[in-house]
Amino acid sequence: MPIMMPASDQMVLNRRDAIVADLRAIVPGEGVIFSAAEMLPYESDALTAYRQPPMVVVLPETTEQVSRILKYCFDNGIKVVPRGSGTSLSGGALPLEDAVLLGLGKFKRIREIDLDNRVVVTEPGVTNLAISQAVAHAGFYYAPDPSSQIACSIGGNIAENSGGVHCLKYGMTTNNVLGCELVLMSGEILRIGGKAPEQAGYDLMGIITGSEGLLGVVTEVTVRILRKPETARALLVGFPQVEAAGECVARIIGAGIIPGGMEMMDKPAIHAAEAFVHADYPLDVEALLIIELDGPSIEVDELIKRVEAIALGCGSTTCRISGSEAERDLFWAGRKAAFPAVGRISPDYLCMDGTIPRGALPRALARIRDLGEKYGLGVANVFHAGDGNLHPLILYDANKPGEMDKAEAFGAEILRCCVELGGVLTGEHGVGIEKRDLMPHMFSEVDLNQQQRLKCAFDARGLLNPGKVFPTLHRCAELGRVHVHSGKLAFPDLPRF
Amino acid sequence: MHIRDAADVEAAVRAAIAREQPIEIIGHSSKRSIGHAMATNAVLDVSALNAVTCYEPNELIITVQAGAPLDDVLSLIDSKSQEFAFEPMDTALLLGARSGRGTVGGMIGAGLAGPRRIKAGGARDHLLGAHAVSGFGDSFKAGGRVVKNVTGYDLCKLLAGSWGTLAVMTEVTLKVMPKAETGRTLVLRGLDDVTANRAMTAALGSPYDVSGAAHAPHPALRAAARGALARLASRGHGATLLRLEGIVASVAHRATALAADLASFGMAELIEDAESAALWRDIRDVTPFAADGALGAWPVWRIVCPPASGGAFGQALARETGGEVIYDWGGGLLWAALPPSVDAHAVLLRQRLAAIGGHATLLRADEGTRRTVDVFHQQEKGVAALAERVRLSFDPKSILNRGRLTRTSIS
Ligand SMILES: Cc1cc2nc3c(=O)[nH]c(=O)nc-3n(C[C@H](O)[C@H](O)[C@H](O)COP(=O)(O)OP(=O)(O)OC[C@H]3O[C@@H](n4cnc5c(N)ncnc54)[C@H](O)[C@@H]3O)c2cc1C
Ligand SMILES: Cc1cc2nc3c(=O)[nH]c(=O)nc-3n(C[C@H](O)[C@H](O)[C@H](O)COP(=O)(O)OP(=O)(O)OC[C@H]3O[C@@H](n4cnc5c(N)ncnc54)[C@H](O)[C@@H]3O)c2cc1C
Repeated sequence: MPIMMPASDQMVLNRRDAIVADLRAIVPGEGVIFSAAEMLPYESDALTAYRQPPMVVVLPETTEQVSRILKYCFDNGIKVVPRGSGTSLSGGALPLEDAVLLGLGKFKRIREIDLDNRVVVTEPGVTNLAISQAVAHAGFYYAPDPSSQIACSIGGNIAENSGGVHCLKYGMTTNNVLGCELVLMSGEILRIGGKAPEQAGYDLMGIITGSEGLLGVVTEVTVRILRKPETARALLVGFPQVEAAGECVARIIGAGIIPGGMEMMDKPAIHAAEAFVHADYPLDVEALLIIELDGPSIEVDELIKRVEAIALGCGSTTCRISGSEAERDLFWAGRKAAFPAVGRISPDYLCMDGTIPRGALPRALARIRDLGEKYGLGVANVFHAGDGNLHPLILYDANKPGEMDKAEAFGAEILRCCVELGGVLTGEHGVGIEKRDLMPHMFSEVDLNQQQRLKCAFDARGLLNPGKVFPTLHRCAELGRVHVHSGKLAFPDLPRF
Repeated sequence: MHIRDAADVEAAVRAAIAREQPIEIIGHSSKRSIGHAMATNAVLDVSALNAVTCYEPNELIITVQAGAPLDDVLSLIDSKSQEFAFEPMDTALLLGARSGRGTVGGMIGAGLAGPRRIKAGGARDHLLGAHAVSGFGDSFKAGGRVVKNVTGYDLCKLLAGSWGTLAVMTEVTLKVMPKAETGRTLVLRGLDDVTANRAMTAALGSPYDVSGAAHAPHPALRAAARGALARLASRGHGATLLRLEGIVASVAHRATALAADLASFGMAELIEDAESAALWRDIRDVTPFAADGALGAWPVWRIVCPPASGGAFGQALARETGGEVIYDWGGGLLWAALPPSVDAHAVLLRQRLAAIGGHATLLRADEGTRRTVDVFHQQEKGVAALAERVRLSFDPKSILNRGRLTRTSIS
């Protein structure tokens, strides 16, 4: 299904050679890429169904260069799309025909490890995992752990407010970032927050986090690191019905236990994962929970007992407890490989990402099942059960005419269903272009206008990553007007301006 | 105008826009003495919006109207053994206000978190969603009702701690957390501020999941007229407090292990359960600096800085001004009561602070002082300009709490 992108600016396209030359004056040598072949890897992010070669790719190495590039583009009315590692699943880093693709991949240096303040100051191109690795020697780690952590950049994590299995207990990216260096579209370099636990004034860091590259380019980040828990153990619990698994999740939380991770897989996902990694998952269950407890061993042992009792009380038919690190890893192996495993049983799949209130889990799964029948497509469910974040994987074959369209329509219906159940369109992958046109399903025009006004405060000309997140582009001037609708005015006799 | 629902708030804001008259937003106005006097005499009182819309303990969320009394909401969630994990502070003693007052909207508007912020985050981390009326007179929603949500910009982060200058919240959804089964405090005695800071740093860098790390030098402790800190003071020496919370067996184990880890700082004594909880309430509410206490006439600063620098900074500040300092957040939060002076020592304090990074808010001072000193920290020029553009994107006519945050904007 074609997604409408902002109209290309022919004047800019006509000046491409001059723009390339100007960019080379800022970033010399191999930092500017413009041949079709070399730009190929930048044509899409991990939402590979959409591809678009950029006008030119530029790979700066310093904040100063980023600033000069942005100022140049600002002065010349050229759009810019920032890019980290390109693992976004929502098309956030998809290039535009008439835009400069600004790759942050060369910002690979960890600038400072400050164990006393429990922070790491790093450049945005460093991978999520590399931060944990850099502090592992001292027993620390960086808590948010998206499954893509080997590849995704911390800058991309900020832009997407990424999370992973640990988020239930340790929060998302937003709860673990203290400050950044931000370059505005005008080229202005700002420092927001720092090593102090809180910043002064409005929580600008909080708004930059999750802004999908639309507000500014992050060139340095200060993240919190945590001391590793003494130990972790996991339970593998199978249930004959999905409802029972849902009930178990609710009762664990209700009992005041916040596991380090709590993940769920449905039958198709279990079978696919088992066939792929042979984790010895039970195949006769409808739902499987992996529940990890972390902390001092004495605490973990006690909580394991409590969780086991709750699981039995909910009618679990299998309950295995990891006795060694190897066994714990094995429990997780299937879950972690669930996406590629599903990739083996279906030529293509679409990974959705919506959140629902935990209690609505059984209803959501029933709806997804019904929708699968309606569209005639298979679906495997993997999700972060602890926080209601669903990842239905819709199975289809792109070579069969019309199937991709069907899969997308199916996916959109699932997300609308999430909103109807009291949830939201995306829990961790972002809106990007993928869910952009569904935004009005969750937000009214007034809500969206308020968000876009905020965008204008950062990027008044709307040049940074346009076409993402918001279904319609507005001019900032038009958004800035105060409307006092006479029909709704409470004091109609008062003078109006 | 009596505000009964969000539509009334919308109407009131629109009327104010039409008259171009700024309005002051209040809940119970327990924090009216913080910040700059406002350039208006029109008040929008939202305290009648006080219903609990929905409380779902199993979902760990509560939705309430913004004017709901905090007292009631806290008892409601306490009845299910839940709490706001960011441990919001009660400023009544410090400000000399009536206790038992305050709304949920005011709590979010002020965004002041207590000792557990170092582990659980601040108010901003627990606000999942809000309905609010902007200075455009438009009712908009931000966020949602689920913990994991990246749909659109996270406007909730901006609302928390914005002191009513961006929008009038009408309803908020907050994350609640289960209360810990038990809590214990390790107390180290007689450390100077810098050494105490090192002890707290060691504790927070340990795997024992410390959920509170505070230090009160003896002179500051002695100012406490009553309560758990006063009881500690009566035994001489300053006290460095480290809190452990969780299930009983775990807390006992961690207390022993942490005490062993910190042996080089001295023998830790152990304070349990109710007395431990009382200690942390006192730290949270900064009772030694109570308005009716020995230091009640002194201005009080709330200083946030990189935690490991707190000890040296506070020690020097106390020495140079003759004031008293209490440390929380492992050194990241300093409460400083300083002897009265023309500018409440603002220039000195902020100059010194610039060297380590951080910010200072003049939380308590008479109106005269607040007229001449910037209560909130002045930001670097570019950031301040951005923040102002952000404010205008919510409230282009500066209708909401005009002049509360900045002296210069009083007109
Ligand atoms: C197999 C797989 C598993 C995944 N699992 C998870 C998961 O568990 N949890 C999760 O949350 N996500 C997951 N993702 C999604 C993705 O990895 C994250 O969204 C990640 O944060 C993107 O980082 P990136 O560096 O690849 O960013 P990119 O894809 O390059 O960019 C993403 C967005 O960030 C912007 N951006 C990038 N860098 C900057 C910067 N420095 N300044 C400003 N804007 C910038 C871009 O413009 C774009 O809008 C997964 C992806 C894959 C492929
Ligand atoms: C038993 C008890 C325990 C307490 N515990 C805590 C605690 O744990 N944590 C804590 O922080 N406080 C606590 N308090 C203190 C205090 O009550 C709160 O901080 C409080 O909620 C302030 O509310 P208020 O309505 O008096 O604020 P106000 O002084 O009326 O307002 C404070 C600020 O917020 C703005 N504001 C108020 N309402 C709105 C709104 N609806 N929309 C936008 N802006 C608004 C105001 O303009 C002002 O700038 C406690 C009080 C009691 C009685």
